[in-house]
Amino acid sequence: MSLFSPRTHARLKSSTAPSASSWQSGTGNALHRRTVVPPWFINTASLILMGLLVLLSLSIGVADFSWSGILQSLLTQSANSDSSLLLVSRIPRTIAIILTGIAMAVAGMIIQVVLKNRFVEPSMVGATQSAALGLLVVSLLFPASALIVKMGVATIAAVFGMMLFMLLIHRIPPTDFLMIPLIGIVFGGIIEAVTTFIAYQTESLQLLSVWQFGDFSGVLAGRYELLWLTGALCVLAYIIADKLTIVGLGDNIALNLGISKRQVTWIGVGMVAMMSAVVVVTVGMIPFIGLVVPNIVSRLMGDKLRRSLPAVALLGASAVLLCDIIGRSIRYPFEVPVATIFGVVGTVLFLWLLLRAPSEQ
Amino acid sequence: MPTPLLSSRPTASFFKRPLLTAAMTALLATVVAGCSSPESNDSEPADAKTENPTADESQNVANNDAVSVEKIMVNTVKGDVELAMNPSPLVVYDMTLMQDLAALDVAVDGMPGGLLLKNLHSETQPDPKSVGTVFEPDLEALNAMQPQAILVGSRMAEKYDELSSIAPTLDMSIDTANIYESSKQRLHDLGALFGKSDQAAKLQQNIDGLITETKSLTKENKGTGLVVMVNGNKMSAYGDKSRYGFIHTVLGVPMADDKIADAPHGQPISFEYIQKANPDWLFVIDRSAAIGEDGIGAKAVLDNPLVAQSNAWSKQQVVYLSPDSYLAFGGYYQWMQDLTTIKDAFTNAK
Repeated sequence: MSLFSPRTHARLKSSTAPSASSWQSGTGNALHRRTVVPPWFINTASLILMGLLVLLSLSIGVADFSWSGILQSLLTQSANSDSSLLLVSRIPRTIAIILTGIAMAVAGMIIQVVLKNRFVEPSMVGATQSAALGLLVVSLLFPASALIVKMGVATIAAVFGMMLFMLLIHRIPPTDFLMIPLIGIVFGGIIEAVTTFIAYQTESLQLLSVWQFGDFSGVLAGRYELLWLTGALCVLAYIIADKLTIVGLGDNIALNLGISKRQVTWIGVGMVAMMSAVVVVTVGMIPFIGLVVPNIVSRLMGDKLRRSLPAVALLGASAVLLCDIIGRSIRYPFEVPVATIFGVVGTVLFLWLLLRAPSEQ
Repeated sequence: MPTPLLSSRPTASFFKRPLLTAAMTALLATVVAGCSSPESNDSEPADAKTENPTADESQNVANNDAVSVEKIMVNTVKGDVELAMNPSPLVVYDMTLMQDLAALDVAVDGMPGGLLLKNLHSETQPDPKSVGTVFEPDLEALNAMQPQAILVGSRMAEKYDELSSIAPTLDMSIDTANIYESSKQRLHDLGALFGKSDQAAKLQQNIDGLITETKSLTKENKGTGLVVMVNGNKMSAYGDKSRYGFIHTVLGVPMADDKIADAPHGQPISFEYIQKANPDWLFVIDRSAAIGEDGIGAKAVLDNPLVAQSNAWSKQQVVYLSPDSYLAFGGYYQWMQDLTTIKDAFTNAK
């Protein structure tokens, strides 16, 4: 299945599925069909953009670096300071950024589909906050435990947090759009408050801030590899994309098409929990990606995951790349956490999404 | 026809959300995150000499009351404050001041509970009661105690007004940009306030002597220095106006990068920065050790090919400062401990 096959699928949104339009209407007026930009076009553009950003990301940094040195190293088949810098610091950082961007954007898309709500993302369903709580607790109780153990605990905590949230919103009709994100924000806030309290009592607030403000300054070869897990999860998401789409269309449709809603939902929740946990453990929380990116892509390509997931992944990667490049250059040679930059950029984008909606009518 | 989802009213909450988050984050960051940088106060240098009441106990001022109380001027961030000597019960909320008082062997009746640092109160004095945390005073406990004086520093300085309504409160924050003069002044004043001026002078001599010794070593060993704090897997750099500025200002170690501005939590840096700045000396504060977490130590975090390229690493000139110095900077024990650490490191330098 190539990324660029110009598949002109009719959108799954059928007139016989009024429930389908319910969560998709967030992307505009349900009565006016938007022109859907062909995916190959968007994906090609995203890829070119990402390629440029990758080159930029490899070139920007505090240490001295020149591409001519790399060329020399390639020609002479020997390592020099430029090539080792590339391998130790620049390439790992760039890969970590790309994987994080992909993971957070795809996780956002999954959770939006599973909850049938356009306004949620992993940090609004208690996932990232619960992961940080799990991480703090395991760091305080077993400080010497391996990273993979910490990640496991964080994942379990994130799953529990999301389960709790699902129970909370169980009674809310899916048509009540704004209640779910609002409850999510409050829920996340409560978990964060518990975490902060524990950290406050144990003088570990600063350690907590390491996970609460995502940044890539600590990424080196050998310190980010856990993130490849999220890549694998994204592939899995692509494999089960159709099932997720159908679950997103509503309970009745899923039932009629023989998809177990419960099963798919839990798989989705598990994936989101794991992605959030891995990202929090390795680089820290980065808010808004999971909210903004899927919304932009839906607006351009509709809601069929099989078609839009690659675009979500590419755009997510580009967005984080861009923000990290800004964070690296704005106060050179010091860094500004990418979470801070994305907080600002994401806010602007989100406002644009909200304000742009009525103008389509 | 379905109602358009994005009617104007509900979206308002979303407009607010990012702002709210930003505001909350900012709040959290400032209020909770243990910022302990004194506001850039116009802390006047030590020219404003306090009247040193020589321990002249024979000076009995005739008074209607049974006991005469000698008053004394104390230099604080908010100007000079007049206070009766030997205030008791005494409450202290700042670890720097606690160290000085412990060294002076002064009884402290109330301090925050659950502090993890050593040398915060004198062994020979009764244990203090808990009166809240380093950020939040327990007003009930304070009210029950009825202290005669409350000493606050950087972290608790924000609560000055609140505490002032209970008892005379002295904001004796250390000015990090001028840490030597500032801490000297505080130690002197505390000595005077509790009638232990001689002891305070002796303690100051210990500090001065050690500074002179250390300086003679740092002077001859030419080489730049960089102060970094390792927190989790991330790092930040501290400049000459920070709480670790004394390494540059007092001991005269040149800065590897003189553009580091002051921030309570340092400036976030990458490992490439260390490679580029290439300090001859790396002074490390292991923040996770400061909270008793011995998981990923600073050593493991710094042990990577980029840091290895710096002179400091290749010459094994990496100095691990006591984690306590983060909270009790400028306190007597902290001076002695950090200076000794640095002196030993420079003594062993090749």
